[in-house]
Amino acid sequence: MPMEDNEAVYEKLGETEKRFGLLRDRFRLSVIAISEAEAKKQGLEIAESVVACISDLAFKFTEVLANDVGLFAQHAGRKSINMEDVILSAHRNEHLLGLLRSFSNDLKGKEQKIGKTRKRPLKEGTLS
Amino acid sequence: MENTFDSDLIYSIFKLAWSRKAAEKSEETELNETEVGRTSKKNWPTTANSNAQKVSSELLRIFVTEAVQRAAIITEAEGNHKIEATHLERILPQLLLDF
Repeated sequence: MPMEDNEAVYEKLGETEKRFGLLRDRFRLSVIAISEAEAKKQGLEIAESVVACISDLAFKFTEVLANDVGLFAQHAGRKSINMEDVILSAHRNEHLLGLLRSFSNDLKGKEQKIGKTRKRPLKEGTLS
Repeated sequence: MENTFDSDLIYSIFKLAWSRKAAEKSEETELNETEVGRTSKKNWPTTANSNAQKVSSELLRIFVTEAVQRAAIITEAEGNHKIEATHLERILPQLLLDF
C-alpha cells in the first residue's frame, strides 16, 4: 500500500513540473512585452539573453512570493490570501511598499465607486 | 494601456506552487505520522481574492521594470545603446535585496 501512494505523489509532481513549464512560457511572453516597452522608454535596445534572465528570475520570484503570502495568510489563520498579505511581502523596501499601498488604495477606491458594497441598508417600504 | 501581467496567469502560478507545497507536505506527514502535520496541511491557503491577484501582478510588473530601468542606468553610463548581461549583473544584488 505505501509504495502505491509514493508513486502517485511522484506522478503528481511530474505533472506539476509540466504545468509549470507551460506557465513559465506564457510568463516569459509577458516579460518580453514589459521589458521591451520599458527599454524603448529609455531609448535603448535590450539583449534577448537579458530578457530571458529577467524572466527566469521573475518566475522564481513569483514562486517565492506564493510561498510568502501563503505563510502570512496561514499565520493570520486564513485560507485565502488578501491584499495586505501581498503588500506585507514587500516590507524589505519602503519605496516598494509605498508603491503597492497606493496601488491597492486605488483599487479600493475604484471598488467603492462601482458600489461593490454587499450590505445595503433597507429603505422603508421595501419587501419584508 | 500599460503592459502588465495577466492576473489569471499569476494566480495559476500561485495555485500550482501551493499544490506542490501541499504535495510535499503530505509526503512529509506520511513519514512523520504526527497530528501536527495533519493540521498544517489543512490550514495552508488555497485561494486569493481578485484584488490580491491584481496587486501581485503589479508587484511582478514592478520587478521587471525595475530590473530593466536599473540596468539601463548602467548601459547609459557606459555610453551603450543596448542593455547587455553585464549591465544586468551589476544591478542584480541590490535588486534581489530590495524585493
